[in-house]
Amino acid sequence: MRPFKYSKTSEASKAVSIVSGSPKAQFLAGGTNILDLMKEDVERPDQLVDITRLQINQVTTLASVGGKAGVKLGALGKNTEAANHPLVRQQFPVLSQAILAGASAQIRNMATNGGNLNQRTRCPYFYEVSMPCNKREPGSGCSALKGINRMHAIFGWSENCVAVHPSDMCVALAALDAKVEVQGAKGKRSIDFKDYHRLPGDQPEKDNTLEHGELITAIDLPGNSFNKSYYLKIRDRASYAFALVSVAALLETNGSTIRRASIALGGVAHKPWRAYEAEKFLAGKSATAENFRQAAELEMKQAKTLAHNEFKIELGVRAIVQALNQALES
Amino acid sequence: MREETIDPELTADERRLLEDLLHDENDDFSAAGLQRRNFLKQVMAAGGGVLALQLAGENNLLAQAVPASPSAVPPGTINTVKLSLKVNGVVRSLTLDSRMTLLDALREKLALTGAKKGCDHGQCGACTVLVDGQRVLSCLTLAAGCEAKSVTTIEGLAKSGKLHPVQASFLKNDGFQCGYCTPGQICSAVALLKEAKNGEASYVTKDLRTKGPVQLSPEEIRERMSGNICRCGAYPNIVAAIREVHEGKDAAQAWSFVEQTNHSS
Amino acid sequence: MNEPKNIGQGLDRIDGLLKVTGAANYATDYKIKNVAYGVIFKSTIAAGEIATIDLSEAEKLPGILTIITHKNAPTLNVKGGIRGGALLQGPKIEFFGQHIGVVVAETFEQARYAAQLVKVTYRNGEGRVDFEKLAKEAELPKEKDKADKRRGDVDAAMSSSEVTIDAVYETPIEHHQPMEPHSTIAVWEGDKLTLYNGSQIVNGAQSAAAATLNIPPANVRIITPYIGGGFGSKGGQWANLVLTAVAAKMINRPVKLALARQQMFNSVGLRQKNVQRMRLAATKDGQLTALAHETVTHTASDAEFVEPCGDCSKLMYATPNSLITYRVFPMNVMLPTYTRGPGKSTGSFALESAMDELAHKLNMDPIELRIKNEPAKDPSNDKPWSSRTTVQCLQDGAKAFGWSKRNMKPGVTMEGDYLVGYGVAAGTYPARQRDTSALVKLSRKNNEVEAIVELAASDLGTGTFTILAQTAADALGIPMDKVAIVIGDSQLPPAAGSVGSVGAASFANAVNDGCIKITDELIAKSGKQFFKRPTAREMMLTEKLASFESRVDAKPPAEAENYSVHSFNANFAEVWVHKTTGTIKVQRMLAVTGAGKILNPKTARSQIIGGNVWGLGMALMEESVLDPRYGNFVTRSLADYHVPSNLDIGTIDTIFIDEDDKVPNKLGIKGIGEVGIVGVAAAIANAIFNATGKRVRDLPITPDKLI
Repeated sequence: MRPFKYSKTSEASKAVSIVSGSPKAQFLAGGTNILDLMKEDVERPDQLVDITRLQINQVTTLASVGGKAGVKLGALGKNTEAANHPLVRQQFPVLSQAILAGASAQIRNMATNGGNLNQRTRCPYFYEVSMPCNKREPGSGCSALKGINRMHAIFGWSENCVAVHPSDMCVALAALDAKVEVQGAKGKRSIDFKDYHRLPGDQPEKDNTLEHGELITAIDLPGNSFNKSYYLKIRDRASYAFALVSVAALLETNGSTIRRASIALGGVAHKPWRAYEAEKFLAGKSATAENFRQAAELEMKQAKTLAHNEFKIELGVRAIVQALNQALES
Repeated sequence: MREETIDPELTADERRLLEDLLHDENDDFSAAGLQRRNFLKQVMAAGGGVLALQLAGENNLLAQAVPASPSAVPPGTINTVKLSLKVNGVVRSLTLDSRMTLLDALREKLALTGAKKGCDHGQCGACTVLVDGQRVLSCLTLAAGCEAKSVTTIEGLAKSGKLHPVQASFLKNDGFQCGYCTPGQICSAVALLKEAKNGEASYVTKDLRTKGPVQLSPEEIRERMSGNICRCGAYPNIVAAIREVHEGKDAAQAWSFVEQTNHSS
Repeated sequence: MNEPKNIGQGLDRIDGLLKVTGAANYATDYKIKNVAYGVIFKSTIAAGEIATIDLSEAEKLPGILTIITHKNAPTLNVKGGIRGGALLQGPKIEFFGQHIGVVVAETFEQARYAAQLVKVTYRNGEGRVDFEKLAKEAELPKEKDKADKRRGDVDAAMSSSEVTIDAVYETPIEHHQPMEPHSTIAVWEGDKLTLYNGSQIVNGAQSAAAATLNIPPANVRIITPYIGGGFGSKGGQWANLVLTAVAAKMINRPVKLALARQQMFNSVGLRQKNVQRMRLAATKDGQLTALAHETVTHTASDAEFVEPCGDCSKLMYATPNSLITYRVFPMNVMLPTYTRGPGKSTGSFALESAMDELAHKLNMDPIELRIKNEPAKDPSNDKPWSSRTTVQCLQDGAKAFGWSKRNMKPGVTMEGDYLVGYGVAAGTYPARQRDTSALVKLSRKNNEVEAIVELAASDLGTGTFTILAQTAADALGIPMDKVAIVIGDSQLPPAAGSVGSVGAASFANAVNDGCIKITDELIAKSGKQFFKRPTAREMMLTEKLASFESRVDAKPPAEAENYSVHSFNANFAEVWVHKTTGTIKVQRMLAVTGAGKILNPKTARSQIIGGNVWGLGMALMEESVLDPRYGNFVTRSLADYHVPSNLDIGTIDTIFIDEDDKVPNKLGIKGIGEVGIVGVAAAIANAIFNATGKRVRDLPITPDKLI
């Protein structure tokens, strides 16, 4: 771990101005990912600005859109608090489930909502500094592309990077069409969740569309009319492991008819992957096993597998079907 | 099941041995060292005879054991941070390298070696401590960020010579083998019981919309303890230990014997 | 012997109080004055040579005390008994992740950073890292034990028998990953060296360190009362132990050096990958006519280690034709070593899966098949069994487990969304006692007699402390709380190690012998005659002795050699497989074990459930994946290398056979640390077959293999 200057502040604008003004400065929130990466010499900040004392950690009600009130998650609230907040548990149980499917109780007590969005990939070649990795060292090559890539992407990858985004929470946020509120040196803006994370393209070093020094202040969950939901995570062990495939499934049903579906997948792409094809197919159809299967297959047809992750297509199909089944029972 | 009761009474000999063991002969001994000795005294008071004898061997080793003073700065330290925090109820002032984790500060600066370094990357839970009452991983916590926080380690759970009920239950249910993950498991379990009381949910909680305290099924305990890896595989006993405290009733004896039916030799 | 009061009781661990309070000192917990910190850095190629090492940036950092590489390391004896090389004796690189240097600094933070600043260039060699490509070069191992063992004619029996199985089973590289990474504090006082270091074999660590450092063993003291797990990886000792001593010598200051978790994958051995071809032949009614078990595996480029995968196959079943072979080839990968249930846990996966396949083919209950082929004596050497409990383990287990509810037809039993299956497997592990000495010291104050028992034994979580206190208390007639057990120090009387399930038998028999001997000596000293043999305690009191001590050098009984002496077990598993997602839940397991005298059922059960958890990890998740291009492990942390979490484990029941077999040793102890894992992976794999109809022959069985 490189030496760094540690400072703390309780003003967001001050934190933003310090980090914006220094190319190698970074924010420190929960620290669960950045310290891990600093110990591995992957992240090399020369300054950490501790923002945990900023007063942007509350869960509050968001003005209603179309009669359904939403929820605002303060960026520095802990994952545990978000998952257990009555507003979230009542209105967005899929988000609670997704958060609770991730990491461990200890890590969820430390990790912040904003930090969860900015987790970096767990690709082992990204972590092993002696190996080429375009995400860590642009232009050095992608070791996973022709390497061991069982855990890697099947959607939206490029020759430059086949890494996946590790978050569970973000998969639910994608399905919920959340908005990310950010504050930077140039002011505040709101980013649609689908635009927050990036595909690798030829700039895999950029995980998301945040500018250096921009600080996430809140995550907004707009009100919605989904009445059924489930977050399913399939992994190599029962708990405390990253997903092989995960699915956030939301359904608005009327009797046995699906009015609308929102489905996002984890463990398959450089960003939470919205299953738009499946959603389109399901709209207006009846909630049958056959329709679920067809929708899932339609979505997974677009996948492009690597040497070791072909299984993710069939597993993805089955995971979508199962998540929809369990959503229906919810 | 036969339960060994912990006898708080020491014989005169044991008391003398204990005095010998913990004699404040060394002026160099820092406040941290003293705290450790006080802690050992507490533990021994709880443990009785065998333990005191057991420690006789350890004592020789502890004799020269002088932890660095928490405010001393090792040569070459840059980016120093000064802070005060409460550890096991005592305010401690530290001067340390900004890179130092809470885990290393506890172990190397404060001589509180109960919390263990199993992976140093948040993947095993052996370093679990309570910060402001919440279980966290001290290996991924910067010590510098702990200004004014209150930290409880495994050494701070036993109070006035009496084990915390979770500690006693781990002992009784053999909730460990090598013991290395145990301080983390116990801190985690202590927090878990509170979380359940507070109605916090887990991934295996059936209905998230239900409010109020959670009755912990084995499945709930397993999921909530999955952030603490035990390579010895003491999991069933860890679950039994936590259930016993949660439900307030004795776990059943866990093994059985059958007569041998066929003698070959 | 006195009436046992403590032996056989499920008592709490006497070291438990220290463990639940955080007061038990593991190697790096010792508070040593003026300690400096060492951090190792590694090679990033698998084969070749170091061309240049640039230390300039690292050296100029504040707080750096020294940096050791092959250029300035002292000459060490590489044949001194340290396993796995990596002793900085030259520029040669044998595997990815090999130690190539050590930074020593005032603080851990300084040392870790400096290690990251070291720049190394290499002359790349041809790395032998692709198992699939190299396997055809495999040759007969040098080790005599691994020569082909042939009885009858397997090929002929295969072609003439009515029913045959011919299948290949694969187990991957696995890592021990004890919770305590290998760590050492080295302290020199003149030419005397003290090493605080987790060591399953205390005297082994002492002699390996001394020989490698070219100093007399008497100058090396190993201190290791508490060990944070080992599972074989702390049986032998590795370079990190000696490099810590070297560092401490070079800076003339104590040094603390703990391997990082990531370094554990390339520093302290591993369980090798085994490709095992099994052939079974049988008559229509299930009588085995042939059994062949042929293993192909890898070893290090410069040393041989081969796990004995055929050990179960050579003695579990009666068959006229048998063949056990091994072939091995070198790879530029860390040296393999003993890993829990070495050979038996992996070999039994192949054997017991194949037996299950045969039973299915015969449409026969797999328990019935095993019982039908029960050998009257050890088929590998014709020796009589001292006691064999396989049949009872299977039958009593079947009753307790509800085996009769198993559907013979696979893939049809459902519970909700889950396919349900039952599986069984049998297992075995040899029982042995090894030379161990013990010193018993008695002291009396008024009417109290206390005992201190000393021996260089170890307790890595097995319960050694407790069973020895129980043994001594009974043998001396002294209450448990007046007995102190002092172990884990090489200055104590020499003892065997906690390896290969020899610990309990060796240590407890030595302690028992020592207690009998001291009692004999007390009686002789008194010159009195007794109708009823008095206890040592009574003698101390009646003779009003202040103190008395005696040392014994215990040896295994010679007559044990005339028998085949083993623990046996049967494992049962009920597995639920999700019909859609393929996720696997092992709802319950049952282990029935005949392992001789159970000294303490509480700690013994813990050993068995630990073995079961390990077996589940082997069956369902553990796999170290090599990148065949570079020879690095892609699974490089505990986030990638999955060991079981709490939620993976369902109910585990344990039944012990109350076995009285005094052939192996006076106390009838057989050991349980290893046998608990043997057969578990097969029982789970067989249950998965019963649940789904899918036979997975390559471990681990992850969800992707079931869809």
